[in-house]
Amino acid sequence: MKANHRPPFPWLLLRFWTLRILLAWCSIAFWIFLFQIVVCGIVHDNEKVKVFIQYIDMLPSFIKTFIGGEAVHVGNIAGLIAIGYQEPFVLLLYMLYAVGVPTALLAGEVQRGTMELILSRETTKTQIYICAGLITIIGMFALVAIMFLGTVIATHLYDFDQDVPLYSFFMLAINGGILASTVGGIALLAAACFRRSMAVSITVAYLILNYFAEIVAEWWPRMKWLEPINIFHYVNNVTIFKESAWPVWDMTVLITILVISTVAGGVIWSRRDLPL
Amino acid sequence: MKAIEIETLTKRYGQARGVEDLSFDVEEGEIFGYLGPNGSGKTTTIRCMMGLLRPTSGQCCILGERIVHGKATQHRRIGYLPGDFRTWPGLTPRKLLRLLARLGQWRGRPGLASRRHLADGRDQGQDALATDRRQEELAERLDLSLDRKMRTLSKGNRQKVGIVYAFQHQPDVLILDEPTIGLDPLIRQNVLDLIRETTQTGATVLLSSHDLSEVAAVCGRAAVLREGRLVELAPISKIVQQGQRRIKVWFLEGSQVPELPADVLPGVRVIQQNSNTLHVAYQGTVDALLKWLAQFPIDRVTTPETSLEDAFIHYYRKEGNHES
Repeated sequence: MKANHRPPFPWLLLRFWTLRILLAWCSIAFWIFLFQIVVCGIVHDNEKVKVFIQYIDMLPSFIKTFIGGEAVHVGNIAGLIAIGYQEPFVLLLYMLYAVGVPTALLAGEVQRGTMELILSRETTKTQIYICAGLITIIGMFALVAIMFLGTVIATHLYDFDQDVPLYSFFMLAINGGILASTVGGIALLAAACFRRSMAVSITVAYLILNYFAEIVAEWWPRMKWLEPINIFHYVNNVTIFKESAWPVWDMTVLITILVISTVAGGVIWSRRDLPL
Repeated sequence: MKAIEIETLTKRYGQARGVEDLSFDVEEGEIFGYLGPNGSGKTTTIRCMMGLLRPTSGQCCILGERIVHGKATQHRRIGYLPGDFRTWPGLTPRKLLRLLARLGQWRGRPGLASRRHLADGRDQGQDALATDRRQEELAERLDLSLDRKMRTLSKGNRQKVGIVYAFQHQPDVLILDEPTIGLDPLIRQNVLDLIRETTQTGATVLLSSHDLSEVAAVCGRAAVLREGRLVELAPISKIVQQGQRRIKVWFLEGSQVPELPADVLPGVRVIQQNSNTLHVAYQGTVDALLKWLAQFPIDRVTTPETSLEDAFIHYYRKEGNHES
């Protein structure tokens, strides 16, 4: 028996899948970018800030807590701009990509019946998984870059009466990107294990549980123990802006979850019989 | 040399049966039929051969190399047509076929790929161009338009795309799962011709089907599966001869058609009986039947060809039904 040689990396599949999700990525990137411009456009003007805060006060208090809590007040420009990074609409857009893309690429192709065609060519299952992983994680960081770019452009478009700590925003963006990639890693794991609808349901259920765990832990002191077990806890804008230091611990925890879930998904994907 | 070797292959899906203890070989240049009714395990075997399923036990080798699950073993040299050929509906056949032909090569475009060489010394760029030419030829032969979106194609035309996909890179081994399903008789004949021509250039074909007439038309040997087990592995001529043979007897005008004596002629049954004709099916030799018929005034006798369906049913009938 001859030894099995490893086929070359399927760059063409990577390109094909990238083109398939490009429109969705561009739409999400556009809204995230626009949202940063709009938020900066509102918060650079004190009068508008007052109206904006009145609007935020009208929202349920758990949303206010989630988008910055006490940091959201007139005069704290960084806290107000950071709303654009944590607002539920922006988080929803990120999660849409993080959940939708890996499940569409892996479980979706299996369900459509096209995975059998891809696998019948010179492409290993591991390479296919890596393609899906790269598109998820690189796409996520590209979205973060667009979000940060939105903030940078907005700070040049509008005058602020305080310095905008762009470096802190950069750290927050990177931290947020790792969080979103972690969600992508969990979605990859789910897509490697289940059919598409099940994979999406499990990942969304996981996110909703984490979201509410974060809110409950902030609200209710007796439930503080929930904080370390939910992934949203590991993006803390207050610490980043106050200390202006990289949140090394938070990032390490998120990267660990990302690596474990992605590798576990890869192992399961390559060993499992796909329901072709 | 053996192009395909299946050794004691077993695949179970939990408690459910897939295939059980299959062993057979296919010689290089042979067209090998793989017969069985729906759910008999043909597709499971093929997916194990393609490394898409992990066998519970046993192994498959193609062109001397053991198939490893998920590792695309020998896929460059295999042309595969899945039983259910499904694609991305927004692509045209041309784009789809080019994508699949170049998947796993070093570069996507022939011009850029020319510096890379395949393991056997062939230039990959030349290879890609040859594939494109072959794709055009096949499409023309099958009367297939390559520039309409897949979603607008009929089932038959989508199947033609699948056939072009399997043949376009001139593979050494072709694994075809129900290749003529949904095709009109003319194109079906074209595909069978294509299969014959391919083996003349040295390729090996495994043709899975539940249509014995199709397999009988092109294959030299065949394996018959029933409920995941191999029930026959023989030359196709032998398989076709199985089941009941038929004889039709015209008695002279005015004579009575006699009653069949069941005790003298066991295994003979009446298919049709008219005023002066008797159409019977029999198993084994015709000797006893002819000796019995010799007592009567016979005008003529014809022996219709063995029905392929009968041969097929002979294998597919369950043990319990077989006796009846």
